[in-house]
Amino acid sequence: MTEPGPDETAIAEQPADADESVRSMLRGALREEEPPPNVLAGVQKRIRERSRGKFYADGWSTAKHPPLNTYLVTSLLMLAVLAISYMLLSPLVGSPEPVRNQPAPVQVLPR
Amino acid sequence: MADRRDAAALPVYRGHGVADAEDQSERKFIERLAQRDERAFNELVELYEARVFRLLLRMLGRRDEAEDMAQEVFVQIFKAVGTFRGDSKLSTWIYRVSVNLCKNRMKYLSRRHSDGEDELEPVAERAALDQAKGVTFGDIAQPDRLVEGYQIERVVQRCIAELDPDFREVLILRDLEDLSYEELSEITGLPDGTVKSRLHRARSMLKSSIERKMGEKIR
Repeated sequence: MTEPGPDETAIAEQPADADESVRSMLRGALREEEPPPNVLAGVQKRIRERSRGKFYADGWSTAKHPPLNTYLVTSLLMLAVLAISYMLLSPLVGSPEPVRNQPAPVQVLPR
Repeated sequence: MADRRDAAALPVYRGHGVADAEDQSERKFIERLAQRDERAFNELVELYEARVFRLLLRMLGRRDEAEDMAQEVFVQIFKAVGTFRGDSKLSTWIYRVSVNLCKNRMKYLSRRHSDGEDELEPVAERAALDQAKGVTFGDIAQPDRLVEGYQIERVVQRCIAELDPDFREVLILRDLEDLSYEELSEITGLPDGTVKSRLHRARSMLKSSIERKMGEKIR
């Protein structure tokens, strides 16, 4: 492809009327009709595959919005289970058996 | 919409030193990307996917190709973001990566003679070119005008597809993406003057091509 000579580079920045018509037709012909697709999931999948799982390997990093509520609810649920277990089991605990510290009697055998 | 998302993604600073604050914010964002911060990269994809897809669709003319290419562009950005030195705006760099990959794909497709586009319908009874300016499906109420508008659009689309990729690139970046000459220069790696002359030639070529196909002059 041949580039124009230096004299052609002095073309005015303002488009001529014909340029404006072309521009208008371009805008009409190439306008957006459908919304663009969401490519994030596809990008993450390609990166995960090509990095052999080094990147985007977990649900936390691939989620568009991290599932904060899920993690929060799970944590609270676990705490509640622990508390209930403690309350249920604590009355069953008895007092400890006393430890005898005295030595057993020694029997001396006659000669 | 993309511009609104742009604004929403970066912290808003008011008053003095807004540009500095935005630069600093972008630098921090780029640092996170360079450290392979996956959440930062998710933000980047969400921020630019619409613009990148639109550009690729206009360059390639096929939605499936554009979607596949858009994914590939972001994968390449993820790989190469560590080499981004910050000499230009991040958006300009992303456009450059997109355009370069797209041109490679176009060469590959042309080698394969891949042409999935439908043949143009005969344009024996067509609308005058004046009607083509900004004609949209939504504007046309009568079915006959719908067909005419559709045919004119197809002619323009076909003429764009026939343009050399180097000319198509400047035409789309300037006339459709509304980028400045400076940005065009950074993306194409050409001097300002060459960008302007190439743009002028691209418009002239497109105009001649449309006139040839439609058989009448564009006024």
